[in-house]
Parts: sequence; C-alpha cells; structure tokens
Amino acid sequence: MATTSATPQESGLTDTSFWKRAGVRRNLSAYAFILPFMALFVIFNIGPFFWALWLSLLRGDIVDQVKPFVGLQNYLSLTTDDITLKVFLNSLQYTVSVVPIAVITALALAFLIGNKLVRFKDFFRAVVFFPLLASAAATAQIWSYILAPRYGVLTYLTGLLGIPEIYWLSDPDWALYGILLIEWWRGIGFHIILFLAAMLGVPEELHEAARIDGANAWQVAVKVTIPLMGPVILFSVVMGTIWAFQLFDTVFVLTNGGPVHATATMVWYIYNHAFRYGQVGMAAAMGVVLLLIIMPISYVQMRVLGER
Amino acid sequence: MTRFKFNGDWRKTIRVLPQAVIVYVLLAALVILMLGPYLYIFSSSFKETYTLISIPPQLIPEEFVWDNYSYILTELPFSLWFFNTILVALLVTVGTVLIDALAAYAFAKKQFWGRDFLFGLMLATIMIPGALLLIPAFLITNWLGLLNSYGGLIIPGLANVLGVFLLRQFMQTIPEELEHAARIDGCSDFGVFWRIILPLSAPALATLSIVVFTSQWNNLVWPLVVLNDKDLYTLPLGLALLRSEFQVNYGITSASAFLSVVPLVIVFLFLQRYFLEGLTVGAVKG
Repeated sequence: MATTSATPQESGLTDTSFWKRAGVRRNLSAYAFILPFMALFVIFNIGPFFWALWLSLLRGDIVDQVKPFVGLQNYLSLTTDDITLKVFLNSLQYTVSVVPIAVITALALAFLIGNKLVRFKDFFRAVVFFPLLASAAATAQIWSYILAPRYGVLTYLTGLLGIPEIYWLSDPDWALYGILLIEWWRGIGFHIILFLAAMLGVPEELHEAARIDGANAWQVAVKVTIPLMGPVILFSVVMGTIWAFQLFDTVFVLTNGGPVHATATMVWYIYNHAFRYGQVGMAAAMGVVLLLIIMPISYVQMRVLGER
Repeated sequence: MTRFKFNGDWRKTIRVLPQAVIVYVLLAALVILMLGPYLYIFSSSFKETYTLISIPPQLIPEEFVWDNYSYILTELPFSLWFFNTILVALLVTVGTVLIDALAAYAFAKKQFWGRDFLFGLMLATIMIPGALLLIPAFLITNWLGLLNSYGGLIIPGLANVLGVFLLRQFMQTIPEELEHAARIDGCSDFGVFWRIILPLSAPALATLSIVVFTSQWNNLVWPLVVLNDKDLYTLPLGLALLRSEFQVNYGITSASAFLSVVPLVIVFLFLQRYFLEGLTVGAVKG
C-alpha cells in the first residue's frame, strides 16, 4: 500500500531514472498527504472487507480465539434455514414496496412544490428536509406513539374514517408496512429535493415549446419533464434500493425483528447472529450475500460519483 | 415565470385561482405531514402520563408539566449522553474533514505513482455494505483495545471515502496559478495546502462537515456494537434503551426524542444550504 515508508528501495524501484521519467520526484510529498487517510482506510475498510470474506468460511463465536474452518458450510446453511428464507423475503418485499412508493410519491410532491403557482419554494424544500434530521431512534419514538393501538393519533384518525384498527407494529401481517410507513416519512425528503432540483433545471423554453404544440400539463410532465429527469430518477432509485436492503435502525428500535420475524431484515440477521447468538460465520455469510445484492446496484452509484 | 400574484391582470388571476387553491391546500397537508409528528411529540413531552393515553388524543396538553424533562435530566444520564454525542460528533467531524482534505488535495493536485489505482480502489469500496464490515471492524477495534471508549467511537469513522470525492472534486476547480504563485513566494507543500487550498475549499469543507456531523449525531449501529458502559452512550443508543425500558411511558420517550433532535434543527436553520448540498453526496441518511 502507498505510504511514505514505501521508499524506492522497498518497492524495488531503485532506478532513479524511473522517478524522473514518471515526473513524480517533486510529488513524493503526495504520499505524506494521503498517509493518514490511507492508514485508516486500510485498517477499517480494506482489511475488514477481506477479513469478512474469510470469516464467512469459519464457524464460531465472535470472541472465540480459534474458529474452525468449515468451507462453504455457512452458505449452504443459509439456503436451508427457515429464518434466513424469511429474512430474504422480508428484505425483498420491503425493497420492492418502499422504492416505487417513495419514488412515485416524491415525484408527485416535487411537481406540487415545483408548480409555477407556488411561491416560497425554499420554505417547502426546508419543510420536507425536516424528517431527514432526526435519527432513526428518535423517529421510531415519535412514530411508535403515533401508530400506537387505541390512543395513537393515526389510529384515532383512521378510526374516524371508519377504517378498522390496524396493529401497525404488532400484527405480523402489517408490521413490515408499519416500518415502511415510518421509513417513507424519514426518507421522502431526499427524493423530493433531488427531483425538485432536476425539475427546476429543465429549461422553461422546452415547456413553452411543448405547450405551443398543444400539449396539456400532464403531457408536458410525462413527455418532457420526466424523461429529462431520467438520470436523477435512476440515482434516486439506486440510493433508495441500497438503503432499503440495509434497513436496520428502525427495526432494531421498534420491533427487534418481530413479531415472529415479520420485520427481520438481512442486517438485523447479521447483527443478531454476530453479536447475540454467537454465529459469526453465518452472519458474515449473510453479509457476503448482501454484498452480492448491493454491488451491482451500487455500481451505478459508483459510476455517477466517478463521472463527476 | 408566471407566479400567482396581483400584477393587475385580474382575468388571469381569476383563471388560475381554483388551481392555486388546490395546490396550496395540498401543500398545507404536506407541511402537516412533515412537521406534525415533531410538533406532536413536542406537545406530548409536556403531558402528564395519564393524559397521554386519552381518547381522543390531545393535540395540545390541557396542563403543561415539566415532569418529563426534569425526570430525564435528573433521573437518567441523559445530559451525559448529550455531552457524549456532541463530543464524538465534533471530534469525528474535525478529524474526518482534516484527514479527507489532506488526501483530497493529493488526489486533486498531484501526480504520484499508484494514484489512479488507489482512487479506483476507494471508489470500489462504496459498493461494500457497512453491515459486512461491522464484524471485522469490531474485532479490529477490540484488538486495538478501543472497545467501550471514546477512541473506539471516533477513530474507525475517520476515513470517509465520500468526503475525499467531494473535496477532490471541489479542489480540482481551484486554479493552478494560485498554487504556483504561492510556491514562488516560498510556500512549502503543506503551506500551499494550509494557506491556499484549505481556505478556498471552505464551502466544500462546510458541506462535508454537515454531512459527517449529522450522520455521527444519528449513528446507532456503531455505538451499539462498541459500547457497554451506559455512561458512554450516545443519544440514538440512549433513545433505543429508553424505548425498551419505558415502552409506554410516552412522556419520557417524547421528551428525550425531542431534545435529541433540537440541536440539529437549530444547526439546520442556520446552515440549510450546506445540508441541501450534502444531500446529493448521498450520505445524509445513515
């Protein structure tokens, strides 16, 4: 790895002409600048990555000194275990529900705030940012009260409309959607603000041109504005998907995976198996599966960041 | 841009009026949805416990009581958690910004052997989910003897890859001429960084600071894994503990949740712009 200690002798590059040829001698100090970052990066990112891959081939408690090598046994166990199957299904069901809901509602709300009649757009932008400020733990506190059976505000309001009482966090059929509702509130501002920026960046002339051609407001939105927002919508979907697959905090605070594993997610599984049940190998294997799911999606995010 | 205002064109105003009414009614609903939960727990934090479970729910407490606040501040180590959170978030922010800025400067302005490889490697690690690194990062922190300490909370979070990208991108836009001029005046490499690059990067540094501070303030998983000692807890961990210990005592949980959000809300009101910019870095929501 690149550190200042990687002198020419150590790296086998003793031929000084190499340094002259590459024109880097005067920039050797660059290594001093990246040293603090690289040291921490290697210790807490690169190292743990390979260690995690290795751990997924072992069995044992997190504090065990000796962890026996079991090969791919952990991965095979993942395919046969009932809980892991439930965990995969939950994460999948949650992701394919929350991402389209969040993106579509955010698009609608961005059109609402971006409407030509609306003044004080900055105010509304700030308003939708507010939920992003609270920690998942604080949000969980807030919403557990709102969603509480009988005396919760939402329960009361839906009761007024004649909707039967829903046990948002304690009914196994509903709990995942209770979590979804909270996470929607928590994350929607991100999508709205992103969309709003893209939308206001669409040149007014394009709208005018479409309108002169006889398009109504709906047609302008669907045929002109939304296609031009394509890259931003893609980024939004990618980030939403990455977050959805890594759902943990809200579940940990509110339901701890329950009732009967209805809200058990992949990261919940990793945390519990590593730090509660003493099954580090299984937890690491689940982590690798999560990596394999996230990687292709995240590749898009990487490309977006790399292009800048 | 045509906006809804009385500019003398009454025919036009009357024509758009129905649409404007609908738009603003929907916006009002949005404001209630986004801010309502905050206002509701604020109001709940002043309620007596028995009125918290009244039907219909009271939006404004009939009688304001301070009991919940005095309880969490005197009977619980809440102020300690508050202090821990401020300390850890500030130190991580300062450390990250400094370490990332040093690296970003080299990546933006210098040619060195292995640069593109290292940068590609950093890009690639963005794809790794944090949960996969959780176990080995815990083991390394344990091995370094940092479990259950401020050091264990702070040090593993200092190398922020997204921060290097953000700062590098900004530093690339700083003209070379400024650097050359400083060098001719006898500035050292570090002098150029400290006196020229860093001050000119202030907006990007501010954005990164906000991103890091917010995500540290709200971080739950890492403190959860590293800490045992309740006196070292940060706010999110403390709130999670309260949730399990005072499950239905909504007065206590409302007051603590509200207090935990207040500092960020205040910072947000003053530095909104940097929050909005930080959002696109994709790192605000932890």
